[in-house]
Amino acid sequence: MRRLSTSLTITLLLFVTLFPVLWTFLGSFKTLKDIVTPVPVLFFTPTLANYAVVLSTPAVQLGLMNSVIVVGCSVGIGMLFGIPAAHALARDVFRLRDKVMFYVLSLRFLPPVAIAIPFVALYLDLGIHDTRGSLILTYCLTTISTMIWLGVPAFEQVPRDIEEAASLEGCSEFQIFCKISLPIALPSLIGAVLFTFVIVWNELLIALSLTSQNFTLPVVAATFTTMGMEVPWGIINASSIVLAIPPLLFIGLIMQFVNRFFRIHTP
Amino acid sequence: MSAVPEPALGESGRNRHSGRRLSSRRRFTALALAPALVMLVALSLPPTIGVIGLAFRNASLLSPTSRWIGFGNFVLLWGDRRFFNSLEVSIIWEIVTVSGTMILAILLGILIFERVRGGLRDIICLALILPILIPRVSAGLIWRFMYSPLMGVVNYPFQLAGLQPIEFLSRPSLALYAVAIVDVWQWGLFFAVIVLKLLESLPAGPLEAARLDRAASWEVHWFVSLPMLRPPLVTMAFIKAIESLRSFDLIYAMTGGGPGIATETLDLYVYQRGFAMSGQISYAAAMSVLLLVVSTLAFSVLWKLTQLWSR
Repeated sequence: MRRLSTSLTITLLLFVTLFPVLWTFLGSFKTLKDIVTPVPVLFFTPTLANYAVVLSTPAVQLGLMNSVIVVGCSVGIGMLFGIPAAHALARDVFRLRDKVMFYVLSLRFLPPVAIAIPFVALYLDLGIHDTRGSLILTYCLTTISTMIWLGVPAFEQVPRDIEEAASLEGCSEFQIFCKISLPIALPSLIGAVLFTFVIVWNELLIALSLTSQNFTLPVVAATFTTMGMEVPWGIINASSIVLAIPPLLFIGLIMQFVNRFFRIHTP
Repeated sequence: MSAVPEPALGESGRNRHSGRRLSSRRRFTALALAPALVMLVALSLPPTIGVIGLAFRNASLLSPTSRWIGFGNFVLLWGDRRFFNSLEVSIIWEIVTVSGTMILAILLGILIFERVRGGLRDIICLALILPILIPRVSAGLIWRFMYSPLMGVVNYPFQLAGLQPIEFLSRPSLALYAVAIVDVWQWGLFFAVIVLKLLESLPAGPLEAARLDRAASWEVHWFVSLPMLRPPLVTMAFIKAIESLRSFDLIYAMTGGGPGIATETLDLYVYQRGFAMSGQISYAAAMSVLLLVVSTLAFSVLWKLTQLWSR
């Protein structure tokens, strides 16, 4: 009896977790006729027409390219600045350490809309509104601070003894960082990079405010619903899936990161 | 989340072997830290000052000139009922999503910890972190599709039972909660995995002892494991409170603040006022300043409390 109720609960849990995504996935292969039915249709002749429409829309192509460039650059810059800073914060005990950590965290308190408003005014003045560069610059605030916060625990797991031994062998600080700390922290750092990637890939508000034509993919997907009178649900489903694929590709690696994080922090 | 460093190792004993090494290490630390901090300050200080400056002017995206009007925008805000509505919606949203997420996460985490073993547990964890990875825009559209009164699957059971379909997203009394369910679907399931991992990391001893005393499962967790996990749970609630403030993406994709202004949180109203409707960027800036001050103060105090409760 107890086992039965357990399996029922778990099945229900998995159903509620996965069904919305699977249903949308199915819907993305349906014609509008199969979608707009009072009784949900499970068996139908699949069509690729929705994806063809989505991927051939110029706005989507531009959005995809903008997203790839903007997210790629801002995550890259975030790594370049964030990883060395995380290493320094994890290893060295200095007076201001807690203050610096709190400052980096407090950047996350800033409401995105409060950042977007002055940046729009500033970028309009500078004449760089609606450019990829301005969006990359704005996202760097998110990527650098996230990389620092997730990178510190990654470097804290590097045993001090190894670093000390290397320094006694005559390695310079830079060599220790490159040859010892970085390789040991690398698996966790990859997880941190992926989390940072997911956060900016999924971001809507800042991209929506800072662009008027050079949209990113979330902005394009969000505006699909306002097309015409009849809501093109097949196309919306397909665009939701296209937008969600990149973060979902990394689900296995992110799970590993979560597992590793808690193994390290186990007392 | 940031483990306390062990000062004993670094400073006193082993580093004494060379004063020169210590200074080169300091230099390396400064060199590694400075560029990131300079970037962060350079990117966060100008907008913070800029938004405050804008709040005291009458700038608009439509007209190129603006002038200083002191507290004019704030005086207008005081009489703006839509502003107070959005404030109320934001507070309800914050309370519902944070408590919903934490309660669901704790219940599910304990359930899986008690009843599921081995490989199945890993598979469930993998499934549970899937929703949080879905972009908020996609998640919003996915659920909007399911909530649809005419063809949505959520309404199908009501229809089978011969009832009227429920218009989840167009009923003012329901819409905010219907959107909150999607937020909890994303965050609550993800946090359930974290709670499970935390339970797994606990030493087995105290739990075993409680079980030997014939405590029921819920008693073991209520009196033993949850108190032991208080520090990380408090931190999780704090993180969720910060993230709940970023409700814009989801609400924008699902209702756009509607029906009427029933789901219009503060950031949506600021966006409407500053960009979408009329480009009244100074008025929007004034609201942002209030939001900025209140959230920074609240979270700074909460952060201190979090650290106190975590001891």
